[in-house]
Amino acid sequence: MRDIWIIAENLPWAGTLAAGAASIGKGAKIVAFVNGDEAEAKAVIAQGAAEAFYLPLPAAAPWEGYAPALAEKAKADKPALILLSTSRRCRDVAAQLAAVLDAPCFSEGKNIVLTESGASVETMLYGGLAVKSSSVSAETVLVTVGAKDFEPLPADASRSGPVGTLPLAAGPVAVVGRKPRAAQTVDLAAAVKVVGVGRGVAEEGDLAIVRDLAEALGAEVGCSRPIAEFFKWMPEECYIGISGQQIKPQLYVAVGISGQAQHYFGIRDAKTIVSINKDKESLMNQNADYFIAADWKAVVPELIKAVRGA
Amino acid sequence: MKKIAVCYKWVLNDADIRVNEKSRELDLEKSKPQINEYDRNGLETGVKLKALFPEAELVGVTCGPDVEPSTKDALSRGPDTVYFLNDAALAEADSTTTSKVLAGIVRHLGNVDVVICSEGSSDVYAQQNGPRLAALLGYPSVSYVSAVSVDGDVLTLDRKLEQGTETVTVKAPVVISVSPDVCDAPIPSVKQILGAKKKPAHALTLADAGLSADAVKPLITVNSVKAPLSSRKAVNLGEDVPEAVAKLVKQLAGEGLL
Repeated sequence: MRDIWIIAENLPWAGTLAAGAASIGKGAKIVAFVNGDEAEAKAVIAQGAAEAFYLPLPAAAPWEGYAPALAEKAKADKPALILLSTSRRCRDVAAQLAAVLDAPCFSEGKNIVLTESGASVETMLYGGLAVKSSSVSAETVLVTVGAKDFEPLPADASRSGPVGTLPLAAGPVAVVGRKPRAAQTVDLAAAVKVVGVGRGVAEEGDLAIVRDLAEALGAEVGCSRPIAEFFKWMPEECYIGISGQQIKPQLYVAVGISGQAQHYFGIRDAKTIVSINKDKESLMNQNADYFIAADWKAVVPELIKAVRGA
Repeated sequence: MKKIAVCYKWVLNDADIRVNEKSRELDLEKSKPQINEYDRNGLETGVKLKALFPEAELVGVTCGPDVEPSTKDALSRGPDTVYFLNDAALAEADSTTTSKVLAGIVRHLGNVDVVICSEGSSDVYAQQNGPRLAALLGYPSVSYVSAVSVDGDVLTLDRKLEQGTETVTVKAPVVISVSPDVCDAPIPSVKQILGAKKKPAHALTLADAGLSADAVKPLITVNSVKAPLSSRKAVNLGEDVPEAVAKLVKQLAGEGLL
């Protein structure tokens, strides 16, 4: 059986991918490549890899600069499967590797099964509205995998294996600065209750009414993509959806949100979803636990009164 | 900078996709195609770049099984011209195939200084075409770009990553994949929509892109496309507002959510 590679954004994610490789590969040799130093490589071996390469973040070049060296090695080693983190750097590397290897690459794959001639994988369509199950015949199949998709195996410090690194050739892209992410003012991901604002709230001045509802409920306020990115009524960190925040509150109240799949992806783990949207057939109403198909401007003030009185 | 190409995808508007409750299959009948929302920011990035190099040609590039109707919409968003490759064989194209076709079109155009892709498409959101295209063309790839500035043929780009922002410099030619926050994507004006009718759109064939019919055969077999069962009850609380609100509050209080 041919090897399974894992290429990870960080050590915890390498643990996830190693566990995934072990469960998918059933005895295949696991070769790991991890962003970090020798210590990280050794730690990945303790978590199930047979051999590990550390790829330290270069000071003056993007980490993605390892892609050519990884591609050279993959061409020579011909792994059956390469699992990569769904992080942005690893997605870029995955796509570049796939292009050089002329190989299929599944983004955010689930239920990955190795077959005689390739693999079968499930991926998401329309932000999670549907699941597509595909099969492919290929020498190497690449799949990017989420940080929590597999439970890492307990570390076994007695395991040992070769540790190395890969060369980083001088590339055309130079890093001239790195700035850590600014502290967020709201932590929607950790909020217990969230009220979401959508395009149905047609005027910026009306946000105050929605904020009153949030205050009455003890909720944070988030929004759909157009509110943050097009209208800029709220900061970008408030935008909930597939390329924004993914939240898991006990209660999510959608005010004037159409419920496009991209938005729903960000709230699908909410326990209870309430939608207020005058279009009865809107996706948001149909994907909520409870909905009121009426003008939000009539509903929300009434709801504030009722919540305060409850 | 002489030539800037912006890739876009013609995708179904998922707001109008419904799920057949019995079969769990997607009902696409009411859904009309549109320019992938993420690509609208890519097109506008091209417009902003061209503003700095007025002599440069801004080209829209697309491919797919039925993309000809997209050209007017694309042209109303700023490109001087669109090159499209319409071929029924691309109906099940994955990123492996799509990136080969796009690379073929870019090679056909020749001397493209900057290829602009967006972060992903609203249907599959695979986020692969930009970096794949770069690798196929032998251009550097700079992905998740949230700010662009240019000095001659050197681009300075901010990349938004999980850890923060990485600022890079790179000399053209280059493929950049832009995030939606790179710039606003304005809705085309009536003047732009009318103006689009006068701009040229060029149809290409697989042969123009240097590809054989074999090269674009679907690699992937789709076994099924099904909507997962929704666990949501979608209880309609009625249209009488005070009554509906009273029911909702009672329900939420019962679930311990108030």
